[in-house]
Amino acid sequence: MALVPRSFSRLARLMAIALCGLFLQAGVAFAHAALNSSEPADGTVADTAPSVYVLTFSEPVSPLHLKLIRPDGTVLPLERFELKDRTVAIAAPTDLGRGTHVLSWRVTSADGHPIGGSVVFSLGATSAAPPAMGDRIDWAVRAGILLSKLALYVGLFIGVGGVFSLCWLPCSTRPGRNIVAVALGTGFLGALAAVGFQGLDALGVPLTHFVEPAVWSTAMATSFGRTGMAALVAFGVAAMALSGKGRFARVSSLAALIVSSAALSLSGHASTAEPQWLMRPAVFLHVAAIGLWVGALAPLGMALRRGDPMALRALRRFSTFIPYVLVGLVGAGVVLTIVQVEKPQALLETAYGQVFMVKMALLVGLFLLAIANRWRLTEPVVAGGRTSAKHLVRSIAAETLVVFLIFGAVSCWRFTPPPRALPALAAQAASLHIHTDKAMVLIEVLPGRMGEVDVSINVLTGESEPLAAKEVTLILSKLDSGIEPFKRIAVRRGEADWGVDRMAIPLPGLWQLRVDILINDFEKVTLSDEISIGP
Amino acid sequence: MLSKLIITAAFLGISATTAFAHSTLEVTEAHVGASYKAVIRVPHGCEGKPTLALRVQIPEGMIAAKPMPKPGWTLEKIKGAYAKSYDYFGTPMKEGVKEIVWKGGSLADDEYEEFVFRAFLTESLPVGKTLYVPLVQECPDGATERWIEVPAEGKSSDDLESPAPGIRLLEKKSGH
Repeated sequence: MALVPRSFSRLARLMAIALCGLFLQAGVAFAHAALNSSEPADGTVADTAPSVYVLTFSEPVSPLHLKLIRPDGTVLPLERFELKDRTVAIAAPTDLGRGTHVLSWRVTSADGHPIGGSVVFSLGATSAAPPAMGDRIDWAVRAGILLSKLALYVGLFIGVGGVFSLCWLPCSTRPGRNIVAVALGTGFLGALAAVGFQGLDALGVPLTHFVEPAVWSTAMATSFGRTGMAALVAFGVAAMALSGKGRFARVSSLAALIVSSAALSLSGHASTAEPQWLMRPAVFLHVAAIGLWVGALAPLGMALRRGDPMALRALRRFSTFIPYVLVGLVGAGVVLTIVQVEKPQALLETAYGQVFMVKMALLVGLFLLAIANRWRLTEPVVAGGRTSAKHLVRSIAAETLVVFLIFGAVSCWRFTPPPRALPALAAQAASLHIHTDKAMVLIEVLPGRMGEVDVSINVLTGESEPLAAKEVTLILSKLDSGIEPFKRIAVRRGEADWGVDRMAIPLPGLWQLRVDILINDFEKVTLSDEISIGP
Repeated sequence: MLSKLIITAAFLGISATTAFAHSTLEVTEAHVGASYKAVIRVPHGCEGKPTLALRVQIPEGMIAAKPMPKPGWTLEKIKGAYAKSYDYFGTPMKEGVKEIVWKGGSLADDEYEEFVFRAFLTESLPVGKTLYVPLVQECPDGATERWIEVPAEGKSSDDLESPAPGIRLLEKKSGH
């Protein structure tokens, strides 16, 4: 023994003890602690924020990390806690707002094996999904969409509609040609820009990506791509009509008007609404009528201003046909409104309805002007009054201005889903299908957004036969946001249908989802995958 | 420094053997073609509630199961047909106890108890593999603690929340 240093023999003894420990350990199954209960309980909705959180485990534990995930997704580490036997009492932060919070814990017990879980609780109410598009509006892109749409409308109505009026109203010098030509050019550029902005919006990328081919190909793949193409064709044909003469000009201006009206019925939420056989023709009629009316304003106004000898004939013809156009315009508009708005109160309660009310107010102004033109000014002008003609020109200019404002209001509809579509938007479910040899589940989260949801779980065997399960448990976690798994026991709704009602999903994003199916007392199947939850 | 580390490691190892948070079997290795005495160790109830019944499923290949009566508990032996006929010391066995239930007792969450049965591990069982013996603890108000999870091929029971206790199957002992 004297040859061996003391420290070495001590080391050897220690090694032996350690090895014994390891061998003993190998002989048993690892034992993990389990959460017995929590305060607040998982899934509760409380009016006031608790001052302390208490987690009670099946055995003493030591926390590895404790954190609170707030409704906005920010993570608050909880560092003040007290251990007492099998409970962990955590000092709760005092400045919590309303909404769904997640107390996410990860602890280790005597076996050294870490386990984690989450307690989901709401203060006041379950977090509601933020209003659609929330804080992520790219204002530059939005302004671009708005302005390019406005330019497109100018081109379609003042431009193409103007060309039609120029060709069909009897004016010797085709007055207002310049205005109409500029409108056509504006529309051409607007249509191109609108397609680009549509692509930016569809991809959700900022203005700097405007020239990227992916943006344009994406836009062309949307229904608006067809609208853009048709509009460009309409502008081209209208330009030909503008430079042509006689019969050719008349026919091509009519073709341009038809194509331009078709352009707007190829996309947009009015055209895509059901019933299609009614909605698409209604949009076409509405748009064609606007083209006829608005398009005539500039040529008429300019003709009157210049004292064109044919102006009076033109004005008379306009006055004759415009009532029919208006009947078509209003009739189609009423149909579109009824389908889109559904309930009168939606006019006040939804953004779409509010835009509609603004448009209506502007329209009333426009109609008053038009009526004033017709009853007070047109007759005297036709009778030959010079002052009245001046007034009429001014009135027509004012009408055009109001028309611009209406175009602006209508462009805003691009961002407001119609009331008809709102329930459908809210009711869009997130779904997931997991298939294994032993079992298969179809999961539907409704709505597929954060906040309070109903989850339905259809349980089938690997051969797609209904599976009579004894118990179904849903487990969700979101590790990238620090949310450890939390469980909900599903309620049986039918032979193979199970559900979890009014479950709170605290954050949007990709969640890890697991379904435990208890087939009988002794057999359990576990399926897992990821599901995307919308904001 | 090194010695401190070793002592810590040793303590960790020992403490792991003492904390039985799962319901487990005392003996985790056994020879096929021999009797096996199963001692089920129940360390706690269901989320704090007392255990009112313990149910054990006798896995296929484990035959002639005989539970040990326990004072204060009623025994129930649920019999049924085996998947095939097994040779039990020359006697073909086609049916027997498939599930054992101890019930009528009450084991508080902060108490420890052991439940015993004996069975024969037939030679048809795969040597080198693990035979899982699923257990269910039943508590008041429908609460249960199910030790029934079986690891997927190549995975370990350590990763499971409620693993079924297992017996590693050893080769049959030769001679007598």
